[in-house]
Amino acid sequence: MDIKLRELSDEELILEFQKNNTEDAFNILVQRYKNPLTNFVFRFLGDYEACADVVQETMIKVYRYKDAYNSVAKFSTWVYTIAGNLARTEYRRQRRRNIFSINDYGEDHSTYDLPDESSRPDVVTDSGIKDEIIQKALLKVKETYREAVVLRDIQGLSYEEISEILGVNEGTVKSRINRGRAQLQELLKGIYKE
Amino acid sequence: MENDEKKYEDVIKALKDLKEVKAPANFEADIKRRINSEKFSNKEKKTFWQNIFLPSRLIPSLGLVAAAVVLFFVVETNSEDVDNPFLIEPRVREDVFAVTNYEEVGKKQEELSKQKSLKKDEPVLEKRRDENELKSSDDKIVSGREKSGEVEGLLDEKDVAKDQSILADNLAAAESSLAVVTESPQPTVPAEVDAGKVRGQSINKEELNFRQVQLSTEEQKVVNELKNQVQSLEKANKTQK
Repeated sequence: MDIKLRELSDEELILEFQKNNTEDAFNILVQRYKNPLTNFVFRFLGDYEACADVVQETMIKVYRYKDAYNSVAKFSTWVYTIAGNLARTEYRRQRRRNIFSINDYGEDHSTYDLPDESSRPDVVTDSGIKDEIIQKALLKVKETYREAVVLRDIQGLSYEEISEILGVNEGTVKSRINRGRAQLQELLKGIYKE
Repeated sequence: MENDEKKYEDVIKALKDLKEVKAPANFEADIKRRINSEKFSNKEKKTFWQNIFLPSRLIPSLGLVAAAVVLFFVVETNSEDVDNPFLIEPRVREDVFAVTNYEEVGKKQEELSKQKSLKKDEPVLEKRRDENELKSSDDKIVSGREKSGEVEGLLDEKDVAKDQSILADNLAAAESSLAVVTESPQPTVPAEVDAGKVRGQSINKEELNFRQVQLSTEEQKVVNELKNQVQSLEKANKTQK
């Protein structure tokens, strides 16, 4: 891979990919964003397998719709927007599936096996018990607040970037973050006491 | 804002301390594989309309349409033919009569009672009428045939004269049949009416159930003028002929 490409910014890389269809530029972008996006999507969804699929789908969308990127915007904002949209869609799909599966159980009275989460890769990644508790608490926070909190407090993005990603103004972002934090604080009271 | 961050300091710290979740090891390889598989699978994207008019989607919809058409005809054949009430001619009430003077009401009522009593004999009268009509039609045919035999070989001018004479014969036959009918007491033509007046199709208007309008003097004048005009036109036509 060209060393010069590695020195380019995200925006320069995507432009290079747009103009010259340089696949190496795309590969560098994948390397740069695969972990941050995986972290963001996992914290939002709480399901590692689904999270890996969503991030993969995000990257494929970047590849397929590279011409849709507008050079005025930051690449990170664009890629987080795609990932956020896909993550939201996946989260709603999972929620619907859970509702239907519970309903089915109620109707046909068949046995309903709860999955054993101890052997799951996401649980293995979250080795600490504290992390697991925080993650569970995070999943209990309202969807819109959770996304804002993850982007701000876990991914470390600015309010401006978050407002662009979520498509709302900064005031709304701040209020969502505060509400999300408040809900989390309420859920994590026990941890702080310890 | 700083106050908010201080307020939720513990939460923020807890979130920041969370371990970063990393992508799976084969992440990039999977992406490359998926991209390559998409490149080689030359799937032609179908438009919205192409998707709608897929045969697989058309078949059930066509079936539905056919079922709807069959149902429509089945329901239509079972339904009774109902006449449009707005197109039915109203029945004329027999006991209704129009009078110009209040004194005539008594007379009319008497006539009606007579007519009702005579209605019992109507079947006999109808028989007689039918017989007369049959006779008259036979006469017409016979006279027509005889005259057609005579007419053969004559000039066109004579043909016209003969046609007129045939028409006159027919009229006379019809009048005779009507005369027979009018001799019998008919509800529409009372006995008071002079037999001489009852000729052909001439029926006294006063005896009909039409709505009679009483015209003012001015309107009467206008009507008379119009009548005169029509008569003068008829005369002019006759003179031209």
